[in-house]
Amino acid sequence: MNKKAKNIVVALLCGLWIFGLSIWGIIQPDGETSVSERRKLAQMPKISGEALLSGSFMSSFETYSADQFPLRDGFRRLKSVGEYYIFRRKDSNGIYLKDGFASKLEYPLNEDSIETAAKRFDYIYETYLKDSGGKVYLSVIPDKNYFMAESGGYPSLDYGRAVELLKEKADFAEYIDIFPTLGLEDYYKTDTHWRQEKIVDAAKTLAEGMGTKLSARYVAIDSGTDFYGVYYGQSALPLSSESLYYLESDFLAGVSVYDYESDSTGGVYNLEKLEGSDPYEVFLNGPRSLMVLNNPNATTKKELIIFRDSFGSSIAPLLSEAYSKITLIDIRYLPSPNLKFFVDFDGADTLFLYSTLILNNAETLK
Amino acid sequence: MVFSSIPFLYYFLPAVIFFYFISPKRLKNTVLLVFSLLFYAWGEPKFLVFMVISIIQGYIFGLLTEKFRSKKPLKTLFTALSCVISVGLLVYCKYADFFIKNFNALTGLSIPLLKIVLPIGISFYTFQILSYNIDVARGTVSAQKNPINLGAYVAMFPQLIAGPIVRYSDIAEQLENRTHSIEKVSLGARRFIIGLAKKVLIANRLGELISVFKASGDRSVIFVWLYAIAYSIHIYFDFSGYSDMAIGLGKIFGFDFPENFNYPFISKSATEFWRRWHMTLGSWFRDYVYIPMGGNRVSKPRWLFNILTVWLLTGFWHGADWNFIVWGLMFAVLLMAEKLWYLKYLEKAKIWPHLYKLLFVAISFVIFDGASLGAGLKTIGEMFGIGGLPLISAEAVYNLKNYAVVIILGLIGSTPLVKSAVLKIAENKVGERILNIAEPIALVLLLAICTGYLVDGSFNPFLYFRF
Repeated sequence: MNKKAKNIVVALLCGLWIFGLSIWGIIQPDGETSVSERRKLAQMPKISGEALLSGSFMSSFETYSADQFPLRDGFRRLKSVGEYYIFRRKDSNGIYLKDGFASKLEYPLNEDSIETAAKRFDYIYETYLKDSGGKVYLSVIPDKNYFMAESGGYPSLDYGRAVELLKEKADFAEYIDIFPTLGLEDYYKTDTHWRQEKIVDAAKTLAEGMGTKLSARYVAIDSGTDFYGVYYGQSALPLSSESLYYLESDFLAGVSVYDYESDSTGGVYNLEKLEGSDPYEVFLNGPRSLMVLNNPNATTKKELIIFRDSFGSSIAPLLSEAYSKITLIDIRYLPSPNLKFFVDFDGADTLFLYSTLILNNAETLK
Repeated sequence: MVFSSIPFLYYFLPAVIFFYFISPKRLKNTVLLVFSLLFYAWGEPKFLVFMVISIIQGYIFGLLTEKFRSKKPLKTLFTALSCVISVGLLVYCKYADFFIKNFNALTGLSIPLLKIVLPIGISFYTFQILSYNIDVARGTVSAQKNPINLGAYVAMFPQLIAGPIVRYSDIAEQLENRTHSIEKVSLGARRFIIGLAKKVLIANRLGELISVFKASGDRSVIFVWLYAIAYSIHIYFDFSGYSDMAIGLGKIFGFDFPENFNYPFISKSATEFWRRWHMTLGSWFRDYVYIPMGGNRVSKPRWLFNILTVWLLTGFWHGADWNFIVWGLMFAVLLMAEKLWYLKYLEKAKIWPHLYKLLFVAISFVIFDGASLGAGLKTIGEMFGIGGLPLISAEAVYNLKNYAVVIILGLIGSTPLVKSAVLKIAENKVGERILNIAEPIALVLLLAICTGYLVDGSFNPFLYFRF
């Protein structure tokens, strides 16, 4: 190819690229949601004199044009691949890979946040638990970074300090250490959460710490879903799907779950959620502010109240073997001052069970 | 609107190219003017009025100045009036609060600040209009009779918001008669995509590192140095990338804009650095301030005063704060010292002049980037161990690894190595043939990767917007 031909090819290719994608973007129907990113996509902003003069139309249009761009997922993937394999970046959008596991950088330790969480727990203790007659426990779930970050050369939280600080500030609760029962393989590769089929030991440790015992035998059922966790979409990297299992046992079939939000009763697993944007919601219907698990066949008549985040959804059913009633409270969605309207704390034990991801970003705890 | 955005690349650019090339020759400047005003209004609709006032006054006073060129008092009056209006608007919008703040600090008064948001690109288009009116007064160019042509010159979107500072004399002829060709479109597209890649792939990535540094609670001496180096590369790629895009777009529309950068980091002295960095600003101050003041053909004290004045203004042009003034004065001192004492040694030696110049450039940009003069000086102190920071921190090590390739690519790209290698390969026929095939593929690939970054909504600020 000579210089003249090259110039023609460059002008043609660039023109085709710019005009082609431009026309494609204009004529293709706008999408509603991004499945991989699990979020709604921006829609065409409304044009008005005020919006134009204030510049709000322009900024909204920038978001809209990026959200509705043709082959958006492909372009995001190209960027991520460029970050990892051309620029040799150790993370992309804060997400890094190690040994096939994806995780999001979480550092440094936000001591103010840990104290905020402890103050919130203290408020709950002083308001509802102090004179309830039950025991109060505290346990911390390490996020994946605990097993990946430091050993992979990534900046990491000071987990020891986080736990010590929380224990010190929430000294009304007895701490149960589940760190030794967990390893990296106990988490999904592309998601933040732990695998239910791998946390039986953690559940047993919690139960023993609270003076009960779990001895049920479980069968791990393959949901048949190609599970892509939250980091799959966020990283836009070509990660493989993985299997999602849930545990079945004789006693679990008898456990009923009452959801205050929908005023409905169901089982511990909602298999319809396997087809949704986040299959992890199969466990107890996903994020819910207030639920009660009733197990008429429990090994004790004890009641337990768990203040929890999304990690609690998969472990609570296992704990229900030993408790006739477990109340699950998520104070990210139900402010703690309102609990008095819904929850009876008398005689029940209480467990504060939170992942380090929430504790280090505790402004969401109300 | 910034060039490195989806609305520009995939909505504005195709539209302007389409309408420009289907328009007859007599309407091409009108198309450019209309789209340029739209481009400007996209970001700051209410500030369009400042630019339109500037264009109208420049047009009227240009005609009056030319008409009364033989009558010196009137010519001077009209030129002065144009300059006062242009500079007055700039001072009002950019410097009023700086003066009020310092006046309040000196007198103890509390005159309320005007809190005016700086119109985008005002520093650039003001200098263009000033050069036009002064050149008309000097008789080096004729006044533009067609307001559309003058409007198209001032508002032309490729160079409107971040330069290069195109003087009217540079493109006066091209405004009336310019040629378009596939070759120009191809060269323009290539230059634009290279600029886009410099901005999106290098400058924005290092911008992330700078943000990480500023938010870090784990500073160390090494981390501060990493920041200083990253910022130097970042500002070069950010600004020169934008200039490349401007020059490339100009080429597509048939204009030849002046070059703005010539590998400034390979300089051996501050004197040479400023011959290679933001060249259109340097030559503007040289021709409209330094030489009219007498340049170097005056007594030594007056010459030094001239240098000091030019660099005080250069610093002040970049921003209405003391760190910009000190930044300019630092270069004034360096330039004076070099010219008086050691420039000849710098020019002869090989390695140390580069290190000397890189050190001072890095230090200067730390002052430049400081939130305040005090903050900039504190960071410089930290670079040299003042401030009690540890030598190294975990975050510094991580970020060094995380951005190593970007920094290395930035360093290589700051030198003529790639250009020399390409020219070398093109010397033989086989090499040239390979390059002719590889170039279109590489350009489209770069465009695709840049689009990926923009679609993902990653870090994309534009530094020179604030000027």
